[in-house]
Amino acid sequence: MGCFFSKKSKRKSGEKGNHAPTTTTVETTDNAVPLGNNTDEAPKQYSWDKREKVDPKDYMLTGLKDVTVGRLPGKLNGQEFVIQECENCNIYVLDHSATITIDDCVNCRIVLGPVKGSVFFRNCKDIKCVVACQQFRTRDCKKMDVFLCCTTQPIIESSTGMKFGCFQYYYPELAFHFKDAGLSIFNNNWSNIHDFTPVSGENNWSLLPEDSKVLDFVPAPDPESDFKSVRISTEAARSIVPLTKGGRRKDSEESCLFVFFAGEYTAANARKLIDEASSKGFVLIQTKEVSMKPEDAKRVFQNSADDLVEWISKGPVTALELNGDGVVEACKNIASNVFSSTKVFVSDNKNTSSRDVDSFFNFADMQMGL
Amino acid sequence: MGTMGLLSILRRLKQSPEQEVRLLLLGLDNAGKTTLLKQLAAEDISHITPTQGFNIKSMQSSGFKLNVWDIGGQRKIRPYWRNYFENTDMLIYVIDSSDRKRFEETSLELAELLEEEKLAAVPLLVFANKQDLMSASPASELAESLNLHTIRDRMWQVQACSALTAEGVQDGMTWVCRNIRFRKR
Repeated sequence: MGCFFSKKSKRKSGEKGNHAPTTTTVETTDNAVPLGNNTDEAPKQYSWDKREKVDPKDYMLTGLKDVTVGRLPGKLNGQEFVIQECENCNIYVLDHSATITIDDCVNCRIVLGPVKGSVFFRNCKDIKCVVACQQFRTRDCKKMDVFLCCTTQPIIESSTGMKFGCFQYYYPELAFHFKDAGLSIFNNNWSNIHDFTPVSGENNWSLLPEDSKVLDFVPAPDPESDFKSVRISTEAARSIVPLTKGGRRKDSEESCLFVFFAGEYTAANARKLIDEASSKGFVLIQTKEVSMKPEDAKRVFQNSADDLVEWISKGPVTALELNGDGVVEACKNIASNVFSSTKVFVSDNKNTSSRDVDSFFNFADMQMGL
Repeated sequence: MGTMGLLSILRRLKQSPEQEVRLLLLGLDNAGKTTLLKQLAAEDISHITPTQGFNIKSMQSSGFKLNVWDIGGQRKIRPYWRNYFENTDMLIYVIDSSDRKRFEETSLELAELLEEEKLAAVPLLVFANKQDLMSASPASELAESLNLHTIRDRMWQVQACSALTAEGVQDGMTWVCRNIRFRKR
């Protein structure tokens, strides 16, 4: 660790009698640097003082050009990752990580497996990427196409030409990586971006055309590369994160709220519902996985609330909004035919279903805001 | 969770004659300020949105009030930080210890804060955050590069921590309790 930072310490060597070593593995003498002007105690030892140091090369990609690089499943294992000064590269980080920063990259195609914390692009240009994370941030970026799964509201700052679509990716370990990163595949706010530097009369961001194909933006890894063994798919039906219409204009006035309660098969059931509804031509607008309290149930489910209070106490609920003419009837049929022995909530009729949808998703947005 | 939460701080501060204590959390965007705030309040930290304005946690106990202000740190909104300086009893500056690319930027912002008249003599706690990451720079190296040893006009401390795991947070808040300076109101 000492060696990695010693470059910076060297710059300051005139000032204080620099005691940071110039090479390798000797630790800096922490005790000589005051950590305060009002401390009587000796500095404490924490877990990070006792752990093994890592080689920066293990978690960084720097200054690469015209190559295919990244990390195979199992090779990053929840550590942080840094990508900087890369040009014309295809970068595949196919593992879960703690946080990823991408600096000064140009003309790259990037896949970032589930990130537990934030993904932060700074000073990047001409990037096409597939990203899953808790927070998505950019600053000083230009021309980026992002297929995104973000569990909170994505933000951009001083960035232009930013385009967003729904995350669409599969490889065999990806579902486990989402779990390892603590990200729910049902919490994806890909289409509502907050811009810290809006410009009057212009849009710094927009949505990608709905029929955009990931492979046209981010190609599959070169068959000669290290990644040839990974069975990647970008087909909509195989995507680990369900495709949602998000903020795009809905085709029909009729929507339906469908809610599954916590249980072993909740995710599988939700996927089954999506498949059944899609095969009938209905569209998935949005999904949410969120915890509810009894007071929330009353507000959202109204007359059905009493019946459901014990079910919401089992864990977070998974809710879906489906859209299309006749969707409410179709969902009720699916509930009784496919999920007859599963507790679910389905909108009762198309006159009140919009209110169900608004009540639920407004509650969920507020709940997850802070 | 087991760490000193906001309520514990309040109990400790009961000795003071003041009615209201104000902690100000500043730092670059993505430093971990909101995660720290939620950790102090013993709340869930797995789902945190980038702060667009500010967050505040208020706690009351026996006629005593503690306010912790967490202000958004994007470059564009740092000019608004000054709206929150007044009546601050403690400045807590949070740094992402693993983001080497922005050490200079955070150093500059901190230096500017220490020149602000409305923050004169306000004690400073610097949290060298994200120590859970393998690449995090140690607190001692940060202290050195921030030139904190040149500070003459206030109490200061650098505390290594992980807002995510809470390790080191209690030690920082203990220092806060011991050094909080009550302003004349």
